[in-house]
Amino acid sequence: MFESLEKCLQTRTASQANLVQLRGQKRTITTCTVKNGVVEEFSNVSLNGVSVRVFVDGKSWGFSSTNTFDSEGVERTLINAIKLAKASSKLKKQRIRLAPVKPAAADFVLNVKKPLRGFSAEDIVKIPLEANRGAKEAGQQVAEAKATYIGIEDDKYFLSSEGTKIHQNTARAVLYMDVIAKSNNTICPASESLGHTGGMELFDKTSPQSLGKTVAQKAVRLLNVKAPPSGKFRVVVHPTLCATLLHEAIGHPLEADLAMSGGGFGNQVGRLVSSKLVTIYDDGRVQGGLGYFPYDDEGVECKRTVLIENGVLRSFMHDRTSAALANVSPTGNAHAWDYSVEPLIRQTNIGIEAGNYAEEEMIEDVKEGLFLEGTFGGQADVNADFTFGFQSAKRIKHGKLAEEMRGANVAGNAIEVFKTIDTVGKEAVLRPGACGKFQFAIQGRVVPAIRCEIIVGGMGE
Amino acid sequence: MNITHAEAFFTSTQTTEVAIRNSEILTQNRADDAGVGFRVAVAGNKVGFACTNTLSEKAVLEAGEKAWAIARVSSEVPNFVLPDAVRIRKVGGLYDARVTGVSVEDAVDVAKRTIDAAEGFDKRVIAKEGRVMFMFGWRGVVNTLGVDCEEQETRTMLYLYGGGEQNGEVTSSCSDITLKRTADLNPEMVGENVAKKVISMFKPKPIESFQGTVVFGPEAVSYQLCDVLVDALKGENVVAGRSAWARKVGETVASENLTITDNATLENGFASRSFDDEGTPSQSTVAIRKGKLENFLHNATTANALKTKNTGNASRFPGGLDMVRMIVGNGYRAKPEVYPSNLIIQPGNGSKETLLAEMDKGVLVEYMGGFAQAGSGMISAQLSQAFYVQNGEIQHPIKGGMISGVAFDWFKQISGIGNDLKQFLNSVVPSLRVENVKIIGA
Repeated sequence: MFESLEKCLQTRTASQANLVQLRGQKRTITTCTVKNGVVEEFSNVSLNGVSVRVFVDGKSWGFSSTNTFDSEGVERTLINAIKLAKASSKLKKQRIRLAPVKPAAADFVLNVKKPLRGFSAEDIVKIPLEANRGAKEAGQQVAEAKATYIGIEDDKYFLSSEGTKIHQNTARAVLYMDVIAKSNNTICPASESLGHTGGMELFDKTSPQSLGKTVAQKAVRLLNVKAPPSGKFRVVVHPTLCATLLHEAIGHPLEADLAMSGGGFGNQVGRLVSSKLVTIYDDGRVQGGLGYFPYDDEGVECKRTVLIENGVLRSFMHDRTSAALANVSPTGNAHAWDYSVEPLIRQTNIGIEAGNYAEEEMIEDVKEGLFLEGTFGGQADVNADFTFGFQSAKRIKHGKLAEEMRGANVAGNAIEVFKTIDTVGKEAVLRPGACGKFQFAIQGRVVPAIRCEIIVGGMGE
Repeated sequence: MNITHAEAFFTSTQTTEVAIRNSEILTQNRADDAGVGFRVAVAGNKVGFACTNTLSEKAVLEAGEKAWAIARVSSEVPNFVLPDAVRIRKVGGLYDARVTGVSVEDAVDVAKRTIDAAEGFDKRVIAKEGRVMFMFGWRGVVNTLGVDCEEQETRTMLYLYGGGEQNGEVTSSCSDITLKRTADLNPEMVGENVAKKVISMFKPKPIESFQGTVVFGPEAVSYQLCDVLVDALKGENVVAGRSAWARKVGETVASENLTITDNATLENGFASRSFDDEGTPSQSTVAIRKGKLENFLHNATTANALKTKNTGNASRFPGGLDMVRMIVGNGYRAKPEVYPSNLIIQPGNGSKETLLAEMDKGVLVEYMGGFAQAGSGMISAQLSQAFYVQNGEIQHPIKGGMISGVAFDWFKQISGIGNDLKQFLNSVVPSLRVENVKIIGA
């Protein structure tokens, strides 16, 4: 791969640009979905290609991608990219600065205990089948069990006119489990997932069967409980839901591109923006995290960046452009889902530092509240206004967990919600996550439970 | 094991995009992509899928063989069939040769005019995020039963998100989108629409909780409400007994004024096509007529399972939030599933203002955040662009708050339908007025 990329860099066309970044990728994705014991989808997706990103006239970007990667195809793509970049450079008054980076050379191969490549189609299909069997063990009321295995193997090649040359080989494995329980006219969903950067050793700790059973038991249990109430409550947010809240509603406004467009955290570096109990970071080097990347897609080394420290805003997540504007070093947050799209500022593994409280201690001094668990995802905007679904709740009464209730939605403004955090759990868990900011990404979250105030949109009394 | 059925689906596309960010043109992109996906079935209806975008003979053969290898270890897909070859009638207005001639400079010009139109309309408006897209390509499918069809198409898109700032107050963002088959995007209209929405959002006030009338604007309808319709109408969900309407054909499932059609033959329709993504000819299917459920949407396999007519709704470009789809992408990268083409809600006679004028106390929801729950149709959504209405008039934008309820109940409580049809990716829908909705104040 490097050969045709290097050839392209040496062309006369390449010299017209201030900066050329070439990214090649060979990706294989295997997905296998089993629903109610039947293999519903089993696919092998092979995607290979090259993209060229150029910076011209000190103020304009162009980006072009192709599914071919011979030298001719790459050079044609370079010509397109330059044409694209030039098209808007006349309109641009402001020059763009890029934060400088030292040229890097790296050949990174992920150390995997059980490589995905060693597993045949026959081995792979057993994973979601086993998860389905686990779900069925939860009884007759399991109307639908769906397990999806996804394995992604990547070889990424980065080459820039600044002298950076990086090869990264990684593998990721994920298992999603979705169950719907049904009795009469009542339908209750529940879901959970496992995922990491690594190989099939993902299932050494939690077997597909036990994942299936746990999720199904929960869905069945929820059939016989009431809907939660609506209104503002003091809540303990379990890490499963906290992960969504952190990523969507706090994480996104901490991405420099969104922050600079006037988002909720804009222009507040150095100020108290959250509860003093809260320290938030992003770290591309969390071992096993789905957002594990040694380098980002601008060739910048990934590292731990403290974003909010004891409630004070310290930094945003940056790419080279936003870092130059903010006069800081880039943080390794420029990531592209694959070769065919431009890098954007993305979270890698975002985390909240663990606090001092055990779960029981977080509950014991709540007179009247809710314990919210599980996520159905949701959305948030740059102002941190969010709506998320939770899967189940428990009432907290006089410091004790009372009856279980079904899921509903929570909504509000996350910056305001995070200001109300008065305890942080002492165990931070690494969870798999995904994001759809203009392009897809899979990421990690490292989250403890938190206690705060939130609006619940339940249908019960 | 012998192959009983096989199919190849292929696309080739060239896409030029210009991105807008914070009042400026951010970047220009071009993506060339082409690939082929194979579905192979072996004895006992065991099906495998594999695809590649490396179009060497070797890579393509390898993909075919991988699909076969996967099929051998897969399990039976009950009632699996591929469609037979049938004559296909060309749907008009899907290709505009001028799109292929659009230069990057033209696309940049559209983007620039959109920004200028939004920000020129009112000083408080900021063009935050947007995209101009010109795409052309072709799509084709062949199978072992003789299906062999291909079609050229062009698609264009322009959207803009805008926000407002005034004395330190920042509005939530508002957007407008236009989706077309021709090169005639209207940047001035999109920019102005966004600006008008943005300036209506200043000085929002919280409201009390109450039970009242809600007018959902087309954007709100196209999103959560259409998701609930799709969930109930999809053939796979009906076959699995998962659809809330599974056994309700012929029954009244909605208010009498609601008629919904899936029409893949709509001229110039953004989701129109001459044949679906398995090669079945396109048609127009009445799903709900005057509140009565008439038909579900099917592909070859789901129609075969229920021994009913295939409605030509096999799609390799479905919406929704399926994780596999988001990871692998669509088109040649995915096997087809049932999805609407253009899901059309038949418009009423009055404008949105007429719908509001008859209202006593309620809310106009132009946009709401959150998702509908699959199966149950439960929606509890954040009011992100909504207005409090009293005595037939908009009083003020709403700060915070949610609405919650079951969309299937709402469909029965529709008291008015607007004439303001708007095209979205897979729907063409007007405003809907729904009575007796739970509104939660902040």
